[in-house]
Amino acid sequence: MDGTAFLARVGAYHEAGWRLALINVTTVLPPTAAHGRAPVAEATTAVEAPGVFEIAWAFANGGEFETIREQILAGEAVPSISEFFGAAFLYENEIRELFGVNVTGIGVDLKGQLYKTATKVPFSHSAIKARLEAAAAGAVKP
Amino acid sequence: MKRTVIPFGPQHPVLPEPLVLDLVLEDEKVVDAIPTIGYIHRGLEMMVERVEYTEMGFVVERICGICSFMHGMGYCVSLESIMNVEVPERAGWLRLIWAEISRIQSHLLWLGLGADAFGFENLFMHCWRMREQILDVFEKTTGGRIIHSVNRIGGVKRDISDSELAAILAELQELGAAFKETARVFRTDPSIAHRLGGVGVLSMQDARAVDAVGPMARASGIATDIRLIGANYYDRIELQPVTETDGDCLARVLVRMREIDQSIDIVRQAIGKMPKGEGQAIETKVRGLPSGEVFTRLEQPRGEVLYYVKANGTKNLERFRARTPTFANIPAMIKLVKGCDLADVPNIILTIDPCISCTER
Repeated sequence: MDGTAFLARVGAYHEAGWRLALINVTTVLPPTAAHGRAPVAEATTAVEAPGVFEIAWAFANGGEFETIREQILAGEAVPSISEFFGAAFLYENEIRELFGVNVTGIGVDLKGQLYKTATKVPFSHSAIKARLEAAAAGAVKP
Repeated sequence: MKRTVIPFGPQHPVLPEPLVLDLVLEDEKVVDAIPTIGYIHRGLEMMVERVEYTEMGFVVERICGICSFMHGMGYCVSLESIMNVEVPERAGWLRLIWAEISRIQSHLLWLGLGADAFGFENLFMHCWRMREQILDVFEKTTGGRIIHSVNRIGGVKRDISDSELAAILAELQELGAAFKETARVFRTDPSIAHRLGGVGVLSMQDARAVDAVGPMARASGIATDIRLIGANYYDRIELQPVTETDGDCLARVLVRMREIDQSIDIVRQAIGKMPKGEGQAIETKVRGLPSGEVFTRLEQPRGEVLYYVKANGTKNLERFRARTPTFANIPAMIKLVKGCDLADVPNIILTIDPCISCTER
């Protein structure tokens, strides 16, 4: 991810008066790993590949709505956009706690205190793998 | 100066739901507030891994008991968009009517909670008595007072007859007339003005800086309202955003009170404009599996809600995300709390109308 170019694009939205509507992350899974469409053994192997996240920064301006999208590897640094959008810190703390996205330079760093979840980083690739394995063992409905 | 940290919540008399703010104080002034949520995080978004898309709507409407109808509607609208399903016109109008009735009950609920928080228990009872009438309307028309389960992908499950609609409108107009007396107390009582006026002021500039939504933003003079986009039949309704300019706790009360009148008027317009007659289609049968993605925006009582749905051609969605208005307004809440007196914190937090169940999903 080219952090400088990314921040320039975000800055352009800010300059034009757009507001931050959402930062959304999707854990990208190989097609065979998604939702039990393949034998679980195959699926769990598939998610062991280097994890990829798709991040969408959504901006709104009245009825207009646009996104910036990036695909990043797990652990790759993602720059915070707090300098442009004051509300970004909440989304950024959330995606770090729930997905494990490595957001750097968050305006207000809540240091992992935002959510109290039973599973640490529940949407990480390893957590999804653990759920698939539990499903294979019959612990939960797949 | 020595700093003291006081935990506000998770249990507090003004909080119906758990939220923690670690308030950092210098004497009686709040200089910082650190939020912690997650006490009722249910992982509903993760359930798309196990729950099929046709059943997920019932999960989504359980995100919150106050915005239940609109969560169900938002989910169905998202899937309809991905699957290119056209909803029958009457179903679209019925959704609009239920959505506005939801707004009335939500605002009445909040006004009651607000009144109770600043010591007006009779006012609380009046607001909640009126809300009961709205819940009765929901029960008569959907079968449920809190969870309605009336939205389907492709339309709605139940119709409301024309005579029932006329009776509902009469009841709402009667309620609107009765509400004027309650609203007068909120507007003119000197104790309320003293307690809320000039407290927790969010300027228009600050509201823009923290991306506030809904009544929170409108009370600071920002004329934002997702209904103005015109989706879901709102393009056929005459609608002006209700705004105030003071940006204080009282302004947020006034915006919500005026929006009750506005919603009654929208229901009146909708009943006048929707196609009449019994036996019209209210649901389009949906076949196949969804594939694609969509962002859907609705104006809930607390402000803009945003749903992201990604489907991959299987029975289970790949991703479901709900960004609720309370989540969007937490930065504004923190902004307001910094610099205020400790005694004003409960009213400031209440006037963002926080819904923690929504926020935590």
